[in-house]
Amino acid sequence: MKYRLLYSACLLCLLLAALLALITGKYPMTPGILVRLCLSALGYKQVGFDLAGPALVLWSVRLPRILMAVLVGAGLSVSGAMFQGLFKNPLVSPGILGVSSGANFGAAIGLLFFSGSVWAIQASAFIWGLIAVGLTCQIGRRGDRSITTLVLAGVIVSALFMAGLSYIKCKADPLGQLPAIVFWTMGSFNSVSWTDVAFGGGLIAAGLLACRAMSWGLNPLSLGEEEALALGLNVAARRAVYILLATLMVSAATAPCGTIGWVGLLIPHMARIFTGAEHDRLIPVCAVLGAIFMLVVDTLARTLPGGEVPVGILTAFIGAPCFGILLIRNKTTIWNNH
Amino acid sequence: MTILKVHHLWFEYDTGPVLKDVSLTASPGMVSGLLGPNASGKTTLFKCMNGILHPQAGRVCISGKPVTAIHRKDLAQIMAVVPQQTGAIFSFTARQMVVMAKASGLAMWQRPSKTDFAGAEKVLDEIGAGELAHRMFNDLSGGEKQMVLFARALFQCPQVLLLDEPTAHLDFKNQHLILDRVRNVTREKNLTTIITLHDPNLATRYCDDIVMLKRGEVCGHGPVRDVLNEDTIESVYGIKVLVKGSHRCNRLVIPRTNAAGDVLF
Repeated sequence: MKYRLLYSACLLCLLLAALLALITGKYPMTPGILVRLCLSALGYKQVGFDLAGPALVLWSVRLPRILMAVLVGAGLSVSGAMFQGLFKNPLVSPGILGVSSGANFGAAIGLLFFSGSVWAIQASAFIWGLIAVGLTCQIGRRGDRSITTLVLAGVIVSALFMAGLSYIKCKADPLGQLPAIVFWTMGSFNSVSWTDVAFGGGLIAAGLLACRAMSWGLNPLSLGEEEALALGLNVAARRAVYILLATLMVSAATAPCGTIGWVGLLIPHMARIFTGAEHDRLIPVCAVLGAIFMLVVDTLARTLPGGEVPVGILTAFIGAPCFGILLIRNKTTIWNNH
Repeated sequence: MTILKVHHLWFEYDTGPVLKDVSLTASPGMVSGLLGPNASGKTTLFKCMNGILHPQAGRVCISGKPVTAIHRKDLAQIMAVVPQQTGAIFSFTARQMVVMAKASGLAMWQRPSKTDFAGAEKVLDEIGAGELAHRMFNDLSGGEKQMVLFARALFQCPQVLLLDEPTAHLDFKNQHLILDRVRNVTREKNLTTIITLHDPNLATRYCDDIVMLKRGEVCGHGPVRDVLNEDTIESVYGIKVLVKGSHRCNRLVIPRTNAAGDVLF
């Protein structure tokens, strides 16, 4: 009962945030115009108002952008929660495991060689994201299997792919491709189109639904390999499915929107404060909180005075200090157990 | 009748052999205690018994079938393990921990039913830990955690129960509480229970059979009275002891001392 209430409250907040995001921005849009637009869409003619401008802004700029922010926020947070559960480690996230930089590198390669094809960029981001998380796992496994080794392995793999990305940047055409790659690596919803929503957004939505269906299964896996084996689970196969799913969502978010860090680390922690670790409850709340966070930060990013700021910069400005505070407050619970 | 038999088990890590030709038998309705100094191979033997490690030679059989030939999912419904410490670092409630016993029967997209949760609470009740059901596992004391893990193992409805040092880190009362429950459940449900212990006094009191391990070899296997004697303990642990009393409830293993009160090794 308490959980239903919490979840409904979160959904309500998301709805309010979306409405707020619809009416804020450079182009003036009042709640009145929004209502008139809806009415005219339903077939009631609005006489004496020029709705062509607002309709264009709403339909081809704000709506896809808002939808994408909601899906990317949810997808990144849920994949963060999945990785944390799988590695029984509250310090990992797509960013820390190297998935983000791998996907980033892959998408840049896709951008460079197949700049026309959304699918090729998506596929390349997904494959390189998988390679990155695979490398991190292998280094962590062959090391002493502790939390610290895994996190350090992620740092190493991230550094490797960052270097790869830098190499691509310095070889890219400085007039055409380079500015595009640079702006996109900072993470932004600026250029999101309906095609991106349909491709990347669709993949994330499918991933979210699949993850919702399989969320309980993360509980026994989060106890660690030996215990999950003793409980009778095919740990290797199940892990692979969850990792594929989480990587799919991260790369589907990264390919159109670039690297947006910290969401996957911070939001699961916040959600866990409300729901506890039970993934059946954690995952849905995590998705909605992530969506709200991303939507609010993106609205900030496009309305801050002085022109649009890439949203990835803002999430880092907010995420890094917040996570620092969480670490200090939780010092006893995060590091004490391997 | 589920008999657990270990036949001539050999196990080596890269660093050298850990188990050398270990054979033993554990019978239903009996608590078999596995004793031995640190690094004698107890944990490795346990991991071979539940099929996590694969021995280089020999095998572990349940009712004649090698555990390595049983599917993990089916094995979980025959054999349950109570780990010394759980890997849980996230906060689950006790009932959520116990209900994970049902994981092996659920596909990835399934979750436990209301009946499963009710069953989990019932098992907690049965071992006298019902009031823990809604508490956070991570906030429980060592003894309470051990009870919850024990309940989870029982909820797997196993025929074979393995407990890895269930009394480690527990206070005096909790050591006796958990072992008392383990022995009673073993009798009631006719389980084949194997338990690793460090304290020969606890072993004397709660075990029916004893297996003594030393550097990967069995150096005593049989009823408590026959195995836990002064000579075996001295040769296995390297400490001189005096065994007093004849009945399991008053039998005591006491280290020998010289006139100055120093223990004799």
